[in-house]
Amino acid sequence: MAETDWTTLFMQIFWIIFFVMILTGANQKIQMKLWSIDIRNKLRVIKRYIDEDRHKIENYLRNLGVETPQFLIHRITNYFIIDPVDKEPTDIIKRMDHLIRIEERGIRNIVKEYVPNIGNYERSLLESSLSILGTLNQLYKTVQHYLLVSEKENNWILLMQLELIMPQVMRIAEMYHEALDPFLTGKPIGDSIGPYIAYRLIESGEIISRKVIEETSITEVRLDNRRVYVIKAEGPGSNVGKPGKVLAQLIEELKGNVDLVITVDAALKLEGEKLGEIAEGVGAAIGDPGPEKIAIERATAKYNIPLHAVVVKIGLEDAINTMKKEIYEACERAYEYIRKLLVELTKPNATIIVAGIGNTIGVSG
Amino acid sequence: MTLDLETIVLLITISAVTLLIMTLMELRKQPKKPEYETIELLECIQCRYRLERPFEPGDFISMYKGKCPKCGSPLRIKAIYNVEKSFKHP
Repeated sequence: MAETDWTTLFMQIFWIIFFVMILTGANQKIQMKLWSIDIRNKLRVIKRYIDEDRHKIENYLRNLGVETPQFLIHRITNYFIIDPVDKEPTDIIKRMDHLIRIEERGIRNIVKEYVPNIGNYERSLLESSLSILGTLNQLYKTVQHYLLVSEKENNWILLMQLELIMPQVMRIAEMYHEALDPFLTGKPIGDSIGPYIAYRLIESGEIISRKVIEETSITEVRLDNRRVYVIKAEGPGSNVGKPGKVLAQLIEELKGNVDLVITVDAALKLEGEKLGEIAEGVGAAIGDPGPEKIAIERATAKYNIPLHAVVVKIGLEDAINTMKKEIYEACERAYEYIRKLLVELTKPNATIIVAGIGNTIGVSG
Repeated sequence: MTLDLETIVLLITISAVTLLIMTLMELRKQPKKPEYETIELLECIQCRYRLERPFEPGDFISMYKGKCPKCGSPLRIKAIYNVEKSFKHP
């Protein structure tokens, strides 16, 4: 019996399997199965986040006296807003603003219906926490949808795209999951940079007057021999207020006699940029869908008022998570920077408006 | 050159083990996510004495909390922030 040539045999088997797989597309099937398993594992992680967060919110609601929190959670987490028609852009801002206000009122009324005796502070925390859970839920459902569709239709391109964006999806899911703690306990977050700097300006000046319009406070202070109106969302609950509308209204009240408007906000840093870097520029530093930003731009343009912006750079995961010490230190630097700007850009006795944009959670005033 | 079955099996095993070690090394290289604790910075409104305490739910910046250990005046929360848990503070 001749001796078996194992090398040749092995190579023959290898090439046969290789060509059969290439010709029948079996290699693609294996690849799809591997992607599918990986996405399912990641979906399980997101599901775990949702279950944990739901459990925490249920406990929070039970402490507030709600016996069956599941109904409220289900109703709010599935609440949606339909974007206004953009093919006809005329008055789109007005329509968008209308829808945003209806949504805010709608969620508030639902929460009040289930938790009638809740205070404003607890209500704001609850609304934001439910919103976080809703976002996570939507993320889970969207990923699951594309996974099932790609499997059903054997669409390997769709599955591959999903697999490639999964690290980013997981980063966002983790970020929202970790954001629940500050929103349930009322800790300042990265987005609280603007309101915190506004608070520091109020704290440093001599308070002349204060009023609250649409959950947004306007505090008139005497600072560095100048009249400074500080606008921020009313704290310390989770609230972003209506800084754009209020600023526009204030400019109208002052008949346009404003020498400078400064908006302060957190801005997303690019990869490689330093956390807490301060940057100065021109324009309205505000990240709303449109109505607030356009109100600032229109009001300042109408009276030809210089519109400046100061931003503190933070990462995506810092925006809705508890403020880090590095960000707090950057806030202090930005506060000093703005004090210098006020003196540098205006003369004594000038009228200035400073708007601290962002969520004021954990920051009063 | 001809190889016997044992050599082929040995080569495949060595390759598999090398791949496994490389994967494990890659996994170990990934940085561990730091753990944070939330601290509140309290400042005396009179003598400006400062101290740090762990955050308690419901506390907020500008809230008065406790008395100054130096002069007895009220302490006010100046800041609330996360710090990385270190070996200094187990």
